Amino acid sequence: MANGVYEMMRGLWQTFRSAWTKPVTIQYPEVKRQVSKRYRGRHALKRYANGLEKCIGCSLCAAACPADAIFVEASEQTDENRYSPGERYASTYEINYLRCIFCGLCEDACPTEAIVLEDNYELSFETRESAIYTKDMLLDAVSAPNQPTPRKVKPGSFNRSVPEMKDPVD
Amino acid sequence: MANEITLTIDGKQVTVPAGTLIVDAARELGIDIPVFCYHPKMEPVGMCRMCLVEVGRPMVDRATNQPVMEADGTPKLQFGPKMETACTTPVSAGMVVIGMSDKVKAARNDVLEFLLTSHPLDCPICDKGGECPLQNLTMGFGKGSSRFEFEDKQHNQKHVPLGELIYLDRERCIQCGRCVRFQKDLADDPVIGFYQRGRNLVIDTSSEPGFDSIFSGNTTDICPVGALTTADFRFGARPWELKSAASLCNHCAVGCNLTYNTRREAKSDGNVVIKRAMPRQNEAVNEIWLCDKGRFGYHFAESHQRLEKPLIRKDGELVESTWDEALDMAAKELRAYGFRFVSLASGRLSNEDLYEIKQLTENLHGQACLYSPMAGGDLTPLIGYADPQGLSRVGKGTVIVVAASNLHQEAPIWWMQVRAAVKRGAKLIVVNARSTRLDKFASAVVRYRFGREAEAVLSLVPAAETSGESGKIIAAAENLVVLYGSDGIGLEGSRQVAAASAELLRASNLLGKPGSGLLPVWQRANDQGAWDTGFTPVDDLAKVVSEADGVLIAGADPAGDHPAYAAALKKAKFIIVQEQFLTKTAQLADIVFPVQSMLERDGSYTNGTRRVQRFMPVVEKLPGTRPDYLVTAQVRQKVVHSNLEFISAAQVFMVLAAHLPDYQNLTYATLMETVPQHPILGRSDVYYGGTSFENRQGLGVQLGTAANRRDKYSLPAAPSTQNQLPDLEHAEELMAVPVAELLDTGTITQKSVLLGKRTSTPFALMHPKTAQQKGLAAGDKAKISLAGVTYQAVVRVDESVPTLHVLLPRSLGIPLDKPVLVKVIQ
Amino acid sequence: MNQTATKYAREIEDLFAKYPADRKQSAVMPLLHLIQRDFGFINKQAVRDVAEIVGITPTEVASVVGFYTLYHDTPQGKYRFQICNDLPCALRGADQFLAELCKSLGIQPGETTPDGMITVEAVMCLAACDKAPMFQVQGPQGITYHENQTVEGALQLTKELAGKEVKA
Repeated sequence: MANGVYEMMRGLWQTFRSAWTKPVTIQYPEVKRQVSKRYRGRHALKRYANGLEKCIGCSLCAAACPADAIFVEASEQTDENRYSPGERYASTYEINYLRCIFCGLCEDACPTEAIVLEDNYELSFETRESAIYTKDMLLDAVSAPNQPTPRKVKPGSFNRSVPEMKDPVD
Repeated sequence: MANEITLTIDGKQVTVPAGTLIVDAARELGIDIPVFCYHPKMEPVGMCRMCLVEVGRPMVDRATNQPVMEADGTPKLQFGPKMETACTTPVSAGMVVIGMSDKVKAARNDVLEFLLTSHPLDCPICDKGGECPLQNLTMGFGKGSSRFEFEDKQHNQKHVPLGELIYLDRERCIQCGRCVRFQKDLADDPVIGFYQRGRNLVIDTSSEPGFDSIFSGNTTDICPVGALTTADFRFGARPWELKSAASLCNHCAVGCNLTYNTRREAKSDGNVVIKRAMPRQNEAVNEIWLCDKGRFGYHFAESHQRLEKPLIRKDGELVESTWDEALDMAAKELRAYGFRFVSLASGRLSNEDLYEIKQLTENLHGQACLYSPMAGGDLTPLIGYADPQGLSRVGKGTVIVVAASNLHQEAPIWWMQVRAAVKRGAKLIVVNARSTRLDKFASAVVRYRFGREAEAVLSLVPAAETSGESGKIIAAAENLVVLYGSDGIGLEGSRQVAAASAELLRASNLLGKPGSGLLPVWQRANDQGAWDTGFTPVDDLAKVVSEADGVLIAGADPAGDHPAYAAALKKAKFIIVQEQFLTKTAQLADIVFPVQSMLERDGSYTNGTRRVQRFMPVVEKLPGTRPDYLVTAQVRQKVVHSNLEFISAAQVFMVLAAHLPDYQNLTYATLMETVPQHPILGRSDVYYGGTSFENRQGLGVQLGTAANRRDKYSLPAAPSTQNQLPDLEHAEELMAVPVAELLDTGTITQKSVLLGKRTSTPFALMHPKTAQQKGLAAGDKAKISLAGVTYQAVVRVDESVPTLHVLLPRSLGIPLDKPVLVKVIQ
Repeated sequence: MNQTATKYAREIEDLFAKYPADRKQSAVMPLLHLIQRDFGFINKQAVRDVAEIVGITPTEVASVVGFYTLYHDTPQGKYRFQICNDLPCALRGADQFLAELCKSLGIQPGETTPDGMITVEAVMCLAACDKAPMFQVQGPQGITYHENQTVEGALQLTKELAGKEVKA
């Protein structure tokens, strides 16, 4: 009997103690959770500092994707209408988030570090169509208002489509 | 055999014919010796040094001239101090080749590093990326990273349009010269060449327009890097994203095997579309080549003007209808008018379509007319050229006669093969009224005035008094191939030429040899199939049509081609048209059935050499359309209450094979059989032969001929040698004769935007004197009045054209199907 | 019309006489020399004209022009000072010579003086390594060699050439 009371008190002590600790739950969506640095959330298509899109429409992410979630279509660009450096840009870029398994292989495959899995985990859809994110949804916002894409640039200033890159550190 | 040589490559023995190069011998063993500049269809040059291997030969004692032996009795080998190029070194007896030692690997590594010193490494955006020999071989033998900084590399122009069809990236070029050699040695259009030298060497063109060759697309296949790419496929897709479908080219009688690469894409509203056409190896047909019309002329399938619903005439207007209503109406009208029924079909249709139309025509006791200005399809089953190897292996001992044909424009791939045959030692005799691009390869050229074609061909008969030099050449022939086309002649002229060619073959006493025979250069892909299924061309088509009660037209647009046919069709009581587009003929119809293009369905074609080949569906069918054979079968079912058992192309073909003796035992399965082809090309190792596809979908079946089977047959009597055309000496008018132009404005080609830029303008080719007489000079615009209508054409002059004649292109807007008198004014 | 054929009708006839009748293309190089002698360079029209005269394609003629360094496809100075700066010459100061000569003339290597008289360019071996710095002058009169040169000497030569021009 005394043993039983002891056990019960021990259990309640746990409850009592937890009542005074900081809760693990957060008030989502008012409060958002900080994710780890290497968290793999929704993709973003990045831009260079000059505002040009990093994506050159090479489709290597689509080739690397084990779930066949990415669809890319490339087109030719000119200096009059420049999206990205080089001759080619992605005219269509779609990711189907019903298929995506957030493995990050697309990120590894990308020769320009254009596609990055970021910390956005807020993905919910009501229809199958809305699960397909198009390029304008994925592309980062322009950092400065005078750097939109497409834009007219001086001929010959952006000839190199694949930049020199160091091995990624993280 | 004395001319076979046994050697050892990487420890494996192989026996190959003498003269074989090490690289090809290794290929037979399945050993890969990487190459860049070597191509099995071209002479080796040994420029790129990628194929360096160690070669050892049995040592010979100079004093005794005896082989030196090792202690164990094997021949002692002598390896040279340096490696040798496997692509230029022929095999020799007892040779030992080491294709994979550390020394060889080091050499390959070095060669690749040199090639990559200034290669831009923009594989992610390169159209060749994924099927690029340089990429693959670098993965196999190259260094992992470059020692060259981007800024240190030599930078060249990245986007140089060599004409409208081909783009050049000068940075990517590795200077192997495959394209330059192809254009010079095989296409005979040396319009691209090296410019500058050393490190600055670039490919350049100075022709007008740039890269002015009808074979230009092939250079993109054999380019081992992404330097030459087509404008058509530019950034179209990555190669690994494409699906493949085996098909045939439907532009001429060669019947080139090709593979269409398709992809479903957002740009095209989510439809599956063709992204590019690639050759599919068939050594008996097109080897691994395609002309630009075949490669870029597939865009007709994407046209938005396609018919999607049946049209029927109500109160004089064509209105959209349903299939049931249209079929019922067709059947009702045909039952009413069925006594004088004419069907008019062209070689654009497949064998299955033609067979069904022929069956319907027979049920209605009608006449099956072939829409073609060429005759002789009845002779080919008897004495046709039926070598199972096609024209690709013709060489020494064979005499090729090309009569009344501008082969370069009528059948480009055959032109290339005839030219290659001459290089291999075949003798060529060109019989034409004017000079053509074959003349310079000919051993003899026979000229005639238009109208005397048959006489000219008959003059070659060795016994003929007039035969002369060419007669001697033919008398010495071991094999004789006679090609005849439709250069400057109509149906009657063609009949004469065909008969004369048959007579020439008969007189040569070479019939019955597989390498001898008659080869008509048909204008359409399946004209031969149409003849085989029972269609024949008629002399006065306008009369036949105007007197008919019911007319069924499929795969032809006579009203659009010639106003006389339009007038005749207006007189016909009831017209059914099976068409993809609302052509002028369709506009005159009472019922128009929307049909599928060949790219949306399967079927078979019989090419000029009577090789039956199969094509598969490539893209999704347009909703609402049906294949021609099905439409006809459904009409037939309602007219004669036949069973509609045969609703797939394969089933129709089975019935066809059962009824046509020559097609006996053929099924779609036999058409899809393949045998190993040499050289071994088109596999994943794209460095060897380029990006042409391996043929796994069928080489087709070559039909035999009565002569080769030693059956009894009879040929038509030799034609008269009389002039078929009126004497012109005192006429005010000129004799206009129709000639072929490859890039014309036919229903199919005009839908291709890219080719549209290369389409010829209507021209009037005359002798300079004749032009002068009419007050015209080269480049002037001439007015040509033909049957009361005036057409414009740019004057061209050529001294080889007979005087008082004017050559006008077919299918470029001037309606001309046979020689006629025209007025030419300034 | 083919102006080259009309202009050099006699020379072409003489040239063709030197070669077999079916080897007309042998006359390509002398013909290009003729044109370059008079114009200083060979333009695209001339390439097309020559191609027509000898019966090969313009691309093949252009390849010849491109391959040989003594044919030029762009208009430059009337006299081309071609200084060898390959390794042996460079060891004997050719690079410095080139730089100083250019500086004295106020141009960069490969450029032409404003009066259109002199172009200075660096070229590959001219087979006079032991007499470097050296250069050759390519002009309307042909090619002359100048060995063991100094900048002063070269400048003197430019003046002489200019003087000759004035007299002419």
